[in-house]
Amino acid sequence: MTRSFTGPALEVEDLVLSIGGAPVVDGIGFAVQPGEVLALVGESGCGKSLTAQAAIRLLPGAVERQRGRILLDGDDLYAMRERDVRRLRGRRISMIFQEPQAALDPLSTVGAQVAEATGLRGRAARDAVLAMLTEVGISDPARRIAQYPFELSGGMAQRVMIATALIARPAILIADEPTTALDVTIQAQILQLLRRLAAERGTAILLITHDMGVVADIADRVAVMYAGRIAETGRVDRVFAAPAHPYTALLLAALPRLTDVPKSELAVIAGQVPLPQHFSPACRFADRCPLVGERCRAERPPLADRGDGQLSACWHADHVGSIAA
Amino acid sequence: MTAALTLTDLAVHYPARNGLPVRAVDGVSLHVAPGETLGLVGESGCGKSTIARAVVGLQAATRGSVVVDGTEIVGADRQTLHRARARMQMVFQDPATSLNPRMTVGEAVGEPLLVRSLVRGGALREQVGMLLAEVGLPPEHAARYPHQFSGGQRQRIVIARALALRPALLVCDEPVSALDVSVRAQILNLLVTLQRSHAMATLFVSHDLAVVRHVCDRIAVMYLGRLVELAPRDALFAAPRHPYTRALLLAVPEPDPVRQRAKPRVLLVGEIPSPAYPPPGCRFHTRCPMARPVCAIEEPAWRQAGESGVACHFADEVSPSSHYQSEASAP
Repeated sequence: MTRSFTGPALEVEDLVLSIGGAPVVDGIGFAVQPGEVLALVGESGCGKSLTAQAAIRLLPGAVERQRGRILLDGDDLYAMRERDVRRLRGRRISMIFQEPQAALDPLSTVGAQVAEATGLRGRAARDAVLAMLTEVGISDPARRIAQYPFELSGGMAQRVMIATALIARPAILIADEPTTALDVTIQAQILQLLRRLAAERGTAILLITHDMGVVADIADRVAVMYAGRIAETGRVDRVFAAPAHPYTALLLAALPRLTDVPKSELAVIAGQVPLPQHFSPACRFADRCPLVGERCRAERPPLADRGDGQLSACWHADHVGSIAA
Repeated sequence: MTAALTLTDLAVHYPARNGLPVRAVDGVSLHVAPGETLGLVGESGCGKSTIARAVVGLQAATRGSVVVDGTEIVGADRQTLHRARARMQMVFQDPATSLNPRMTVGEAVGEPLLVRSLVRGGALREQVGMLLAEVGLPPEHAARYPHQFSGGQRQRIVIARALALRPALLVCDEPVSALDVSVRAQILNLLVTLQRSHAMATLFVSHDLAVVRHVCDRIAVMYLGRLVELAPRDALFAAPRHPYTRALLLAVPEPDPVRQRAKPRVLLVGEIPSPAYPPPGCRFHTRCPMARPVCAIEEPAWRQAGESGVACHFADEVSPSSHYQSEASAP
């Protein structure tokens, strides 16, 4: 598809999602440019997967979208008819999941699944599928197209899912924990493939992950989520080198690294993520934060510019450097 | 001093309905010294969890010997096994399924003591309180049920129960893999503290190399049912001797964009073969970047190379300059 729109491939504006009245996603906004990889990172329950599901308009029934727009190449996804959205999925916006075996149709061959989004038939479909399977690094594609998902290993199934998602050249790919179920040597292969596809095809990738190593490997920018809000966002090199939110700083310090002193004490974050029904209208990290002050419990910190595209939602962003030490 | 755990030529083969048995573990020998933590790493299907299960007697060995604190487990009668189990305890990946939802935390943690008629009544309550305190939980939580706790707290409860009998050997199978980063750090800190206070030997099974490096003294690397390398922690990370170890270390995505993007990419081609049909010769030769004709024919013998034990024909040629010494730059 030739692209005439010159703005972001995907834009999420002030998204608010609730479950039973509790704001599980509360005012999330970001944009992903063509060819860019944006990582949404956070721990369980931070709302990263719900945000991804909202971006392709596949929210579970219990989740209510209170407000917010999703713009796909400038078109408002929630202003469209369901029928039109269905036509769009797999063509202009695609998604891949953690468990490729669960996402593939067990009764349909690899060839049939990959061909589906092309709308092509016969020889043309076969040629397109073979080319796509080759592009995602599947060896002997002519044999693979006749196979069923149960005959594939985890890494191979994820490649098939990526081929299925990308064959119609969508502007945006949403990848929800795409390598979490894979072994580390296979993960390295899939991450390199995603990086190459973003660079060569100009596909925008929204990557959902809990793994800071995966973010450091392939993302251009990162948005760190905590309790339904973005705590901090910016270029990956900036955020990792100089986090501007206490949560990001502690999360990075809590990781055992291949370069730290073995058996040294890791940073811990006191307490637990609050339940959505107990979310504070002010700063949601306040109860666990070493920098907490009066203002943090009274007033919601806005995502404020720290320069060079880095934004932090913290009243004490200037002092975050003292935590990491 | 006798080792806390000694495996000699341990093999575990699972029968297959048709075809050859799955050789999940196929001739592994190693020992864990008292007070030592040995890491067992490898990818899915390498046999690391099967070893953990064979050690605690949850999985019968096909061949070989498992000696825990002086007692042979393989082929032991029920009484011997019952006695030996007091000397070893296991912590699993998922704390939610390791605890009986109908038992209070106090009952769960006190059960090993009660079953062996060691203490009862007020003394039992007191000991349970001390065990909970040891893992960082308030003693009054003994009256609560597992569902009232978070994942990290439940793993603390499981660890308290494992400590109750003061075992000589603790077997941990992916103990932090189901936990979020911030909670994982708490449990890792706890395990390191307990290593120091209890001087208990630990067999620590994990797929996460950064975690294993953080808590272990020595590390064994497995591939398709066999040990490929066993070395002291620092030697393994500074100078991996086996091409698989090296590839595994380089495949770990590090949470540091500068280091991560400067790494040489040694991508292993292909997939892990089935343990039912392991390749002949060196089992790694189908994916090995250094493989030569002899590797497909002859299984490499286990040998010492410096501080490391390694099974590779060409171990001397594996570039010892891993990323963790020299800041190699990407091509």
